[in-house]
Amino acid sequence: MSAIPQLVVSTILLGGIYALIAVGLTLIFGVMRVVNFAHGEFVMLGMYLAFWAFALLALDPYLVLVVSLPVFFLAGFASYGLVMRPVIRESHNVQIFTTVGLSIALQNVALVLWTGDFRFVRPAYYSVVVRLGTTAFNVSQIVAFAVAVLFTAALFAFMRWSYAGKVMRATAQDRQAAALMGIDTDRVYGLTWAIGIVCVGAAGVLLAPLYPVYPTAGLQFVLIAYVVVVLGGLGDMAGALLGSLIVAAVEVIGSYVIGTAWKEVLYFLLFIAVLLVRPAGFFGQRGAEQLGA
Amino acid sequence: MHQRTVAVIAALALVLGALGAVVHGQPLSGEYRLGVLEPLTGPIAFEGKRHLEGYELMRDLINERFGGVMGRKLVIVAGDAVDPTAAASEATRLITREGVKIITGTYSSTLCGAASEAAARHNAIYWETSCVDPRFTRRGLKTVFRTEIDGTGFGWYNIEFIAKHLAHRFGKKPNELRVAFLSEDSSYGQGVTEAARARAKQEFGMAEVAAEYYAFATTNDFTPIVLKLKALNPDVVHHIARGQDAVLFWRASREQNFQFKALVHAGATGYGSPDFGKALGADGNGPFALLEPGPGFIVEKLRPEGQRIERAFRDHVKQKTGLDSPAGGHQLAAGGLWLLKLVLDRARTDELEKFRATVMAMDLPVGSSVNGWGVKFDESGQNSNARVQHYMLQWQNGQLLTVWPEEFTTNRAKWIPLGAWDQRK
Repeated sequence: MSAIPQLVVSTILLGGIYALIAVGLTLIFGVMRVVNFAHGEFVMLGMYLAFWAFALLALDPYLVLVVSLPVFFLAGFASYGLVMRPVIRESHNVQIFTTVGLSIALQNVALVLWTGDFRFVRPAYYSVVVRLGTTAFNVSQIVAFAVAVLFTAALFAFMRWSYAGKVMRATAQDRQAAALMGIDTDRVYGLTWAIGIVCVGAAGVLLAPLYPVYPTAGLQFVLIAYVVVVLGGLGDMAGALLGSLIVAAVEVIGSYVIGTAWKEVLYFLLFIAVLLVRPAGFFGQRGAEQLGA
Repeated sequence: MHQRTVAVIAALALVLGALGAVVHGQPLSGEYRLGVLEPLTGPIAFEGKRHLEGYELMRDLINERFGGVMGRKLVIVAGDAVDPTAAASEATRLITREGVKIITGTYSSTLCGAASEAAARHNAIYWETSCVDPRFTRRGLKTVFRTEIDGTGFGWYNIEFIAKHLAHRFGKKPNELRVAFLSEDSSYGQGVTEAARARAKQEFGMAEVAAEYYAFATTNDFTPIVLKLKALNPDVVHHIARGQDAVLFWRASREQNFQFKALVHAGATGYGSPDFGKALGADGNGPFALLEPGPGFIVEKLRPEGQRIERAFRDHVKQKTGLDSPAGGHQLAAGGLWLLKLVLDRARTDELEKFRATVMAMDLPVGSSVNGWGVKFDESGQNSNARVQHYMLQWQNGQLLTVWPEEFTTNRAKWIPLGAWDQRK
């Protein structure tokens, strides 16, 4: 019983980490209908940005977070123009191969440039443990969770109330109808991709003080992010946050109660169960995945 | 008479000079191509590259100072074994396209099985230097050989250390110890852990309070595991880690103030990797890792021939990399490659039957070779675990130091039992 408060705290903090990665993915998935298999590599690039800024310039990762927003916005636009725009109207198979290719290319560029060695970002607060009642946690985890909530809320507000957000939702609902209404869907996709990359790049920066940095560092999170996105509903920010918390709860409580070896079995069983009962996810609209295709 | 004596001396000098020239870096006649398979891309490339570096360091040493292999210059042809499928296809490519007759490698136990099966289909020799999956040499393949200890040997050593070096320092008998077994779930982790569990229970009567496996690549938070183990109050955590899981577990244990008396690991991964020290510095003080000999090792304890090659290797590593002591990956690869050179120089061929007969006939006592290894292969192709002597190293202020057996080292183990987390300085 004494472990329950800590399990709850761990669930929330781990859920925050998953949500950080999932919000960018769900945005791209929801609006563009593209499964970005290179998502984990942009996490990795964010981690390397934090590492090199810390190692070479002694910049704190939270300062780098501010710098990372325009950097990844530009990187997002560039990668969209170079890689995604030519295939955006092609079949899903072509898009999958393109993003898988981008993923492998980015991994290997990182391997060639920075080797496969683990690298670590160790700011002064790296070892600081916060104790609250019977619970304990790391400062970096709290910041990651707070930023995840902030990003989710900001994207939710952006999509709901801004003109650009409405345009993006219109494009997500029906690309052809949106084009007929005068929306430049190509620009919308470019903006969506860039915002998604900003989210995931920032996630990488925030994860750098928590996890080792290496060329395939993003892979350990990205599979879970796909599960989260489908559970929450394609393109739904609140769904991504809820889905993250549910997956984290299954992982944390399942590991504690049943056994760590079972954690993936448990959340994939949940995943299958949700798809059977509610194929569009918790917050998704039934049939939304067909629109705009 | 005088003229004859001078002539004999001159002839002898010429012969000796020629022999010396062969051994010390004179032109070698032709090349010998050796296949090396390691994961050079993908999630375990960080360690695969370190192993490849170990082969390259030993290759250069052999070519520059020890007369190459069979009088020929040793050349490495590398293949990238990113996963078991790629390992098998790369093994096939090295044999059929590159023309190698012997393949060596392979850092991971998830790769060596698939790669060696592919090599066996072409009757090519697979000279394994680092994977420890016990099943590797239990498939009846006449083409496989392993220079490194297998997982059962790792488990044996770890329990030996816990029972005979730690227990009395905790004020307990071995059968009063409570041990929690935790491991990543690959064949490496399972092989070591199951061997350790069996010996701990059957030979020493230790109490097993937990046996938990996890997927190292997808376990992002160890807090639930730590909470579970903390409630079971073990004396010793026997943790076989593979990569970042060592750092994550250690940090979570510190956060949750999980007070065990010792943590014991085996192998050049996890706690045995330099990355653990880089991540934690002095915060990582305390855990033990069973490895090849590291800093503090008394080289004079080896046999004369072992001292010569060990010193030459350490000097070469220092000169080429700046490291005071080779990393675990370097030692496994280089130690295995040196033994392969000895076999090939004796057999004078890589033809399987003669090669195998030479391997089986080799009998070198402990302390004869790199890392203090000896040689006595059994019919399965496994080098004797007893000849592949291992050492316990401990993290002390960011350095992994040799601490056991004590007669082989200038260092002593500290923090037995481990004190409070903030008092391990």
